[in-house]
Amino acid sequence: MVKAVPTSVRIATFLFVVLTLVFVLAPLVVVAGVSVSESQFIAFPPNGFSLRWYSAILTSGAYLGAAWTSLKLAVLVTLCATVIGAGAAITLHRRRLPGTVLLAGLFLSPLILPTIIFAIGLLMLWSATFGPVSFTALWIGHTVVALPYVVRTTLAVLAESDPFLEEAAATMGARRWQRLLYVVLPQCLPGLAAGAFFAFNISFDEAVVALFLRTPDLVTLPIQIYNQLEFSPDPSVAAVSTLMIGVTILLILVIDRLLGIQRFTGA
Amino acid sequence: MSLSTNTGSVGTPLLPPKGVSARVLGGIAEDATLSAPGVFLIILAFILPIGQMLLLSIEGASGGLTTEHFTRFLGDSYYLGIVWRTLRLSLLITVIAAVIGFPLAYVMAHVGPRLRLWLIILVILPLMTSVVVRTFGWMVLLGRGGLIPFTLWKLGLVNRNFTLMQTESAIVIGMVQVLLPFMTLSVLGVVMKIDRRLEEAARTMGASFTATLRTVVLPLAMPGIVAGSLLVFTLSVSSFITPSLLGGVRLPVVAGSIYEAATKTLEWNFAAAQSVILLVGVFLVLLPYLKLTGRRHG
Amino acid sequence: MSTIIATRRVVLSAGFGLTVALAALTASGATSPAAAREKLVINSYGGAYEQIHRKLVIEPFSKKYDVDVQVITAYSADALAQLRAQKAAPQFDVIHFSGGQEVVAAREGLIAPIKLNELSNGKDLYPFAVEGLSRGEGPVHAVAAIGLLYNKEKAKKPEKWADLWNAQYKDHVVLTDLSNSYGLLGFLMMNKVKGGDITNADPGFNAVKTLLDSAVVVATSPEMQQNFAQNDAWIAPYAQDYAYTLRKAGLPIEFVQGAEGTPAVYLTANLVANRPNQDLAKKFIDFSLSPEVQAGWAQELRYSPTNKATKLDETVAKEVIYGPDAVAGLIRFDPVAVDANRAALVERWKKLIAK
Repeated sequence: MVKAVPTSVRIATFLFVVLTLVFVLAPLVVVAGVSVSESQFIAFPPNGFSLRWYSAILTSGAYLGAAWTSLKLAVLVTLCATVIGAGAAITLHRRRLPGTVLLAGLFLSPLILPTIIFAIGLLMLWSATFGPVSFTALWIGHTVVALPYVVRTTLAVLAESDPFLEEAAATMGARRWQRLLYVVLPQCLPGLAAGAFFAFNISFDEAVVALFLRTPDLVTLPIQIYNQLEFSPDPSVAAVSTLMIGVTILLILVIDRLLGIQRFTGA
Repeated sequence: MSLSTNTGSVGTPLLPPKGVSARVLGGIAEDATLSAPGVFLIILAFILPIGQMLLLSIEGASGGLTTEHFTRFLGDSYYLGIVWRTLRLSLLITVIAAVIGFPLAYVMAHVGPRLRLWLIILVILPLMTSVVVRTFGWMVLLGRGGLIPFTLWKLGLVNRNFTLMQTESAIVIGMVQVLLPFMTLSVLGVVMKIDRRLEEAARTMGASFTATLRTVVLPLAMPGIVAGSLLVFTLSVSSFITPSLLGGVRLPVVAGSIYEAATKTLEWNFAAAQSVILLVGVFLVLLPYLKLTGRRHG
Repeated sequence: MSTIIATRRVVLSAGFGLTVALAALTASGATSPAAAREKLVINSYGGAYEQIHRKLVIEPFSKKYDVDVQVITAYSADALAQLRAQKAAPQFDVIHFSGGQEVVAAREGLIAPIKLNELSNGKDLYPFAVEGLSRGEGPVHAVAAIGLLYNKEKAKKPEKWADLWNAQYKDHVVLTDLSNSYGLLGFLMMNKVKGGDITNADPGFNAVKTLLDSAVVVATSPEMQQNFAQNDAWIAPYAQDYAYTLRKAGLPIEFVQGAEGTPAVYLTANLVANRPNQDLAKKFIDFSLSPEVQAGWAQELRYSPTNKATKLDETVAKEVIYGPDAVAGLIRFDPVAVDANRAALVERWKKLIAK
């Protein structure tokens, strides 16, 4: 750096970051507070201190089963959406196929339509074609919903990539698959990582498609929470959320320890 | 929809003259293979089911074709008001998310990897809580006697019964909180790839910190901001749980209206017509926006 | 060139193979070995309701008939939307509704008619509970009375529906959206009190309009709870069973039947059309109508029985609609007329309350 960044800018930046974090986290602090409440109903400030809602969740087959279903689903959806989305984004970026613009519209369209219409349509089509819905139906449904996120974030990263790298590789005799694997894909990584993260989250938090495609054996965590909240809301849902926050932090730190997440965020 | 045309001015790489046609054909075959799974998935699992739903929008009570569902919506100031509120709030949410998200991503890109990881974790945490529970957090903070109204009352700015709940402000606050990660991560992915030497060069040549930010970083970060804005805008247009819980039933938005028509009054034809209108509305809003950013960037 | 594409295909399909293998793994884990038993799929309403539903009906029934009863948690509106979309291959055998959805379901052929003599408990039911059978609907298995909920620590006890407009409750009234069946019934009653009827809702809308400036409008039960617990609500037209739920949660809420009359939400159990297990499904519906089950509902959640033979102890009897005289005082708005006017009423309501 040539000139130091002015102190006033540094202070302003620091304040900005702190205020943003307060804004983002304040409601979560409230949720964590509610989760240790002793009383039956959701209220803040919490009445007393008790971990009864945590033990209630961790011994509840319904919550654990739903969490397991959601996790399986989100992992499968993330895998599929990332693989399919990577191929789509690379194609769209290269613009070699005729009708690329149309194709782009096709891949991003699930983002714009309200999922409720998609959910009803998919249920109708599936019932008429295959009969009762199943895990596969929900898997496909969530993959469709998650796909645009992967395409979108990967495209944005590719737009900033160096187009001559692939050409250079070609000149030096790299085959198509080598170029794809060693030149193009590494360039996509930050976008794919962000897209995969969104895909996982979308699937894990999605409630509308899951609501319509549910069966007795197929209840996801958001649906389980919704079921609990609609009739008799109690602090257990706050405890679930707090646990999910904790697990997320843990998971990210473990992945970072094992794989080094900085690689994916581009450091 | 030309959603991809803004992603830069990258053309087909120059190729040596020898064996051109084979290479071009090979390229097309490669790209067709790469995109085939996606094309099949979208057509079979999205266009087909959605198409049959959208066709309902022109189906009359006795089966014939009709435009009555559209005229019912477009001829009614109540529904037009809902559309206006939806677009207005979504644009506001997008702008605020971009104004917070861009500098935040810039800061994230410039701190050490450990701090960056923690910042990312903190920003995405709202996504990991159930929407209803998270919204409850806001209800406590914004409701009558909640932290923010209470502080404002103590400062003598509002009266005691003041509440931010069931206002458009509450919708905007709640939506920005949960959509911010989409913006920040989209921008971060791009900002991380900007060559630091460009900034250094600008500073060497005497540009101030803010000027460098404005003339070097911001234009280069544009694809990320555009990508993030598209995500944030479309997500806020099509979400209904947060708006209905924070804004309440008295501040309806289009997606909520569609949900009601689809499940509560079972008017699927009307729900389909509203979806078509929403689709067209979003497209009309995005079109000039895309052209604008495309020109600036191309 | 083709080998290269083939290579790529291998890479891609390796990814797919992995995911398919994972899916197969999960699918094999999901199927239970008890598939040999007969299976019945029903809906329930979640939370405490579903817990009690399991305890009173589902588990005893499973034991008695050695059946595997599977539950999908789905509220009436969602359940009907799901049933309609699944018309080609319905997954429910018995579907419960609480908002008059059985009228639509019967009209669209989604549910099948039941004959009175197919139900062993049929003869003991009050006439209103079996009146829908002639239209192809299922019987009413429970009743949720609608009246006034009030906070006894903060507000004076209301006596009649008209008290909602009393100045002493100003700024502390909670109204419920018409998309909620409790809200719809509450509104129809306010309309009736103000001199309207189902085809003329002007008096009701005009009267609600005067409340809107100072009232909160909610759409769901949890919002109702939050308003009483957190937001200083004093009075709201809502259901008797929910007053009990709030009381159990520690809130000082009591239920009052308005002097002008008590409308009610009628919970029905319906037989889904085009399912193989209809005989068993009818047995399940019949089981829900037994005096023992209905006494359990009243005891646990304060739903009123529809079976004349139901025996309740004194405390419970006072907190539900019990006995021929009390039942005769129930107001039932014609379900067919309500259904015919529902969409128009909901739309007009939305326009009225929109800011």
